[in-house]
Amino acid sequence: MLNAAEHAEFGFVRDNVEVTDSVLSKQMSALEHAGYVKVKKGFVGKRPRTWLSLTKDGRRRFARHMNALREIAS
Amino acid sequence: MTEAQPTRQDAVAALAEVGIRAQQVRQADSHLRWMLLALLAAYVGVAVLMSLPRYRGSTFAAAGIIAMLVLAVAFAIVVGVRIRAYSRAGIRLYFGTIIAFNLWNVVVTSASIATRFWAMGQPSYHFGISEAVGVVPLVIGVWLLSRRRD
Repeated sequence: MLNAAEHAEFGFVRDNVEVTDSVLSKQMSALEHAGYVKVKKGFVGKRPRTWLSLTKDGRRRFARHMNALREIAS
Repeated sequence: MTEAQPTRQDAVAALAEVGIRAQQVRQADSHLRWMLLALLAAYVGVAVLMSLPRYRGSTFAAAGIIAMLVLAVAFAIVVGVRIRAYSRAGIRLYFGTIIAFNLWNVVVTSASIATRFWAMGQPSYHFGISEAVGVVPLVIGVWLLSRRRD
């Protein structure tokens, strides 16, 4: 999902992937720590918003993963 | 412990899921389309109002124009704060449309003045015609963003 999105809100990813806040939060922390995901916190009005995006390295890694999957699938 | 190599079925399923997730992001781009539609509606509304000879230069026309622009801006802000995701292509298309619209509007306005299509004594609908030509980039942008939903 993050590969398709320039930026995606935490709640958007959670709702579409159908996981809980804590599960997604742990995954994102791990991916952020690995340098694949960038987490940006901000506010829209008074509401806190967390925006997620893939880093360049994350996109590269994902592309490699996709190529491997395509090879297996073909 | 090493991870097991995914089977062909696993890979096919994973690729299918990637497609579904990408589609969900493309659908989220529809917010950008609504923001462009608000701008388009405001310009069309202003064009219609300005094209009516009986309202030319009247207080009603001025109030109507301000009301339409305020409504469009308010709508765009409401939609804007509800954006939860956008794709790279979607946001580029959105800003590309805004830039193209502004540049094209300068061309249309300049041509309308230079050719005296807009001048004292010309019928009011000339303004509407120029505006109709001026919003073409917005129409194209809305159409392109609509196509991205599938």
